[in-house]
Amino acid sequence: MNAFEFANAPTVEAAVKLLTPSDPKTDPDQLPRALAGGQDLLTTIKAYITPAPRVVNLKTIQGLDKIADDGKGGLKIGALATITAIEENETIRKNFPGLAQAAHSIATPQIRNMGTIGGNLCQRPRCWYFRLETVKCLKKGGTECYASIGQNKYNAIIAGGPSYIVHPSDLAPMLIALNATLTITGAEGSRTIPVQDFFALPKVSVRRENILKPGEIVTEIQVPATALAAKSTYLKFKERESLDFAMSAVAAALEMAADGTVKDARLVLAGVAPIPWRVPDAEKALIGKKPDAATLLNVAQIALQDADPLEHNAYKVPLTQTLIRRAISSLTA
Amino acid sequence: MPTTQPGKKTILVPKIVNGVPSGEEEIVVDDTDAPAWGPKDKHRLLNTYLPRADGPHKATGTAKYTHDIKVPNMAYACFVTSPHAHARIKSVDTSAAEKVAGVLAVVPLPNVEEVRFEGQPVAAVAAKTLEAAEEAAHAVAIEWEQLPFVVTAQDAMKAGAPAAVNGGGGGRFGGRAGGNRGGNPEQVLDALKSCDVTVDATYTSVIMHHCCLETHSVVCDYSGGDSATVYCSTQGCNSITTDAARELGLPASKIAGIVYNMGGGFGSKFGIGIVGQWACRLSKQLKQPVKLVLTRREEFLAAGNGPGAIQTFQAGATKDGTLVAVHCIQQALPGIGRSNIAAQPYQYRAQHTYREQNTVNTNEDSSVAMRAPGHPQACFAMESLMDELADKLQMDPVEFRKKNVPDPAWIRQLDAGAKAIGWQNRNKTPGKSANGSSLVRGMGCGIGAWGGGGRGGCVATVNIGQDGSVTVQNASQDLGTGTRTYVRAIVAEELGLDYNDVLEEIGDSRFTNGVASGGSTTAASLSPAVKDAAYNARTEMAKRVAPHLGADPSAVLFADRQIAGNGKALSWKQACAFLPSGGLSVRGEWKPGLSGNGAHGASFAEVEVDMETGHVRVVKMAHVQDGGLILNRMGAESQINGGMIQSLGMALYEGRVMDANLGVMVNPAFNDYKLPGCLEIPELIPIIDDGDERNVVIGLAEPANIPGSGAIANAVANAIGVRIRELPITPDKILNALAQQKNV
Amino acid sequence: MSSPSSSPPAAENSPTTGKLPAVSRRGFLKGAAVAAAAAEGLLRQPPSAAAAPAGDPSAPVSGPTSITLKINGKDRDVTVEPRTTLLSALRDHLDDPLTGPKLVCNAGTCGACTVILDGKIVYGCSVLAMDAVGRTITTVEGLGTPEKPNEVQKAFVEKDGMMCGYCTSGFVTNLSNFLNKNPDPSLEEIKERCKGNFCRCGTYPHVFAAAQAAAKASKG
Repeated sequence: MNAFEFANAPTVEAAVKLLTPSDPKTDPDQLPRALAGGQDLLTTIKAYITPAPRVVNLKTIQGLDKIADDGKGGLKIGALATITAIEENETIRKNFPGLAQAAHSIATPQIRNMGTIGGNLCQRPRCWYFRLETVKCLKKGGTECYASIGQNKYNAIIAGGPSYIVHPSDLAPMLIALNATLTITGAEGSRTIPVQDFFALPKVSVRRENILKPGEIVTEIQVPATALAAKSTYLKFKERESLDFAMSAVAAALEMAADGTVKDARLVLAGVAPIPWRVPDAEKALIGKKPDAATLLNVAQIALQDADPLEHNAYKVPLTQTLIRRAISSLTA
Repeated sequence: MPTTQPGKKTILVPKIVNGVPSGEEEIVVDDTDAPAWGPKDKHRLLNTYLPRADGPHKATGTAKYTHDIKVPNMAYACFVTSPHAHARIKSVDTSAAEKVAGVLAVVPLPNVEEVRFEGQPVAAVAAKTLEAAEEAAHAVAIEWEQLPFVVTAQDAMKAGAPAAVNGGGGGRFGGRAGGNRGGNPEQVLDALKSCDVTVDATYTSVIMHHCCLETHSVVCDYSGGDSATVYCSTQGCNSITTDAARELGLPASKIAGIVYNMGGGFGSKFGIGIVGQWACRLSKQLKQPVKLVLTRREEFLAAGNGPGAIQTFQAGATKDGTLVAVHCIQQALPGIGRSNIAAQPYQYRAQHTYREQNTVNTNEDSSVAMRAPGHPQACFAMESLMDELADKLQMDPVEFRKKNVPDPAWIRQLDAGAKAIGWQNRNKTPGKSANGSSLVRGMGCGIGAWGGGGRGGCVATVNIGQDGSVTVQNASQDLGTGTRTYVRAIVAEELGLDYNDVLEEIGDSRFTNGVASGGSTTAASLSPAVKDAAYNARTEMAKRVAPHLGADPSAVLFADRQIAGNGKALSWKQACAFLPSGGLSVRGEWKPGLSGNGAHGASFAEVEVDMETGHVRVVKMAHVQDGGLILNRMGAESQINGGMIQSLGMALYEGRVMDANLGVMVNPAFNDYKLPGCLEIPELIPIIDDGDERNVVIGLAEPANIPGSGAIANAVANAIGVRIRELPITPDKILNALAQQKNV
Repeated sequence: MSSPSSSPPAAENSPTTGKLPAVSRRGFLKGAAVAAAAAEGLLRQPPSAAAAPAGDPSAPVSGPTSITLKINGKDRDVTVEPRTTLLSALRDHLDDPLTGPKLVCNAGTCGACTVILDGKIVYGCSVLAMDAVGRTITTVEGLGTPEKPNEVQKAFVEKDGMMCGYCTSGFVTNLSNFLNKNPDPSLEEIKERCKGNFCRCGTYPHVFAAAQAAAKASKG
């Protein structure tokens, strides 16, 4: 681990100041880093993946960990709310069950006790090559995506290239399915955008998985009260049930009509693309239909229609199709 | 009071009913004038359920391991390692490293001009803090000339592949060939023609890692002068002194080697290794204590591994279930090292057999011993083959096995295991679930064997103080196998004392000679020496106390913390008060007759597979294991559980993955090299095979680890109706195999 | 139920768990209740290190810095760097080190370094020491001693919930904390709770048995 400076930020403004590099052209891996739960950050610093010159502790900012009602039945979740707090929050368990499930599915109790929702959205990708200290891959300023021609069992089958990482967040796909937004704060103030727009494909931004600019931090996530929230679920498949990341996962949220047809639907995939991957065509194929076996097969088929697997990950196609069918079934059974 | 008869003697022993002490009874035993274990079912402590002697310290975090040692003025060291699989060092620039605050030494390793695997140490750094040492190691700038490499068996077997080691190469199809062979291949191929069923198949298991939770580590406590203490996480405490003496330039007798506790070895930790070498060298150079601990990544890359194997069979059987002919080419995959996979047809008997073993070298760290070296690999392949033959014969796999095992122990164990797992419910329609669900169940089994046994050389010392305190000493280390516990129990039982009346002192080279823990030989080597020492202590005590009782020394009884004879009894403390102020110190040594060898085991597994996701859930496992006289049933059951769990890891999760283009291991971390965790643990049934009548100590650590992976592979095949011939059996392989089957 | 953990119950119920309010940090400073003292009092640097501007609690610190950690009910002074993990502070930097929590993976993937921070289990290797200032830290040594073990520690010995013992303190710490909150867990809940603690010897079944026995014993 390289030596770095440590600062406790008393306010968001102070944090932004401490995080803004003096040279705007600083390499993205050499930027000061925000410390929330630190569960991914410390790992990447230890492995010299992001040798930060400075670590700015956000946990000293008062109130940034609140989970509050937005007054309309929705949620305002401070970026520093821990995964455990989300998982255990009674309102979330009751009104946003998919979000509680996604939180519960993450890593281990120890990690969930430290890890935060903001950190979960901002964590770096899972890819064997990215995580190797000695390999300078495309994402670290190198010239090759070694996964694309190497050991790519866990890599992207959709929207890959030039990098084939998968985004590891479990909360992000569920938040997208719930039409959530998030607030970014930087030197120029705050802006609120759909969570979906937070993430950036490698073809847009190969070094970073989101649109945060140097000095910016995520400060709040808003989950609106919608008809979708009550029927939401997160179905995650892991190679190992104990500590592991998703091989594939599905965040699903449905609104049912009185006649048993699907009125509205959101389907977002995880573990298959470099960013949480919403499948609007599959949603359309589901809306207005009774979720019978034939419909589910069709929806699953459409959801994976753009899949273009690498040498070792074609299994993710049938696996993800199964998860889609099961997730929808579990909400309509 | 007992009466002495010629050739026989009567002894008073605790009466044990269902493992519970229930008073005492007199029995007649041979008067051998030598230590003897006595009847298996008459022990007061041995062969019962004993709590681990070191349990209270381990459970409260106060047990000290090498990683935990911190001595005054201690420097922290670490390695600089090669990022390349094969490369030459063109230059080393240590200037930046030397500028890191707190750095004490930066030393390029001498005679390392060329590296042959990723992770090979090339320089060592010492600093005042661990943080500084790691930073400095990172700052050492090395200019490399990359050389051709090969890191997968497939690539190594290609014509013209680069040689991973000088004179090595691609096995049968490449370089180093014909390591050993046996049998007549033509005869076997001839015999196959007359078989009713035959199977041609290749089974692959990959390189695995020991994953000791405590990485290789050494603290060399030396500040100049004429003596040193060296703490080392090693399976051979006695080897510390000679190894360290060489590095420090001190006489071995002036070095204390310490292994108070160690966080796992599994075959990977013998001697002080390169870690100890450099802890000692840096300590000598700096004249201050040095601690060197491998990082987890280094442990994966450079601390040894268990070899993979590719085994190709042509085998046949006749309708009556007789295994007739087995032809097998075994390719061992030991990185740059050499390794042996146990010879096929493993534990089965066949009239015609041929086996040939070759080595396929790759630019990966050398394989070393790993829990039952070469056996789980051979067993997985042979047991898979047995089930494939049984399938073709339409014969029950257990019945087929029973017809072809050379020792009746396995027949007994197969029956016991089948009963425990509920074999009668085994899936009759593989690949089809009853209710249209995607979940299917299957069962499988396998058998294994291990030599084990005791070796001479162990010497134990029992010290009895005038105050009644008793210690037993030996240099041997406890890997977590329970050495401390039985060392204590043997002495307590022999002297009629309570378990907690005796203190064991082990893991210190200054005590009398111990044994290195390899091949499941520790218990069988050490327990006889301890028994002998305890017997000698009892005899000596009897001699000294008998006059005070007015009894014949041969008629003195040791029981209930008392010494009795001639109708009188002294408490242990009263008796010890007759000892001289220096107390009594008695030795004993290993002798034949108390230990034996040859352990047998059988594993059974039941799995549930989700055919739509490829997920395998092991529902239940049972393992039946013999081991002669079991010293501690609780510890033995822990070992059997551990064996089942490690074989579960081998079957379903674990394996080193290499990138053929870069020459690097892509999963040198616990996120990515997947050990079984809590949620992977099925119902486990450890069964001690009490049908084994041998009244001698036989190690059982390794055999419990052998047949489980084959049993699980067979259970998966029985569940899904498709055979997966490559470990680990991961969801992707299952989904691919099922998709292929559909397309056929 | 009698508590199997000696970690302070107040911390378990703390509504501020997971964050570090400035007030608790200031409150932690011995005799220094003013914000201006925070920088030099909380993160006392030796004169050689770059000194933080006085009065700015957010000024970055670097290099060896003296901090105070509240460990097992005692205030312990220790000199660490910003990059020093809590685990390393306990094991390598404290004068009288606490080596119960083990260094195994240094990446938050094994559980051997589990400690209780403000009433919740965390991986000691994945928390910076400076981030633990002002919080309540409990290690396995703070739960019981060989002479006076807690119920979980007792049960681990009775059920042989260990072999090499290297994962043991992590499991014991995790389960001691767990049984405070869930005194009667099912086997599945125990497994789920310990999914981030790994053992290589394969003691899991006996760990589960120990957890169940401790729960039973605690209930009396």
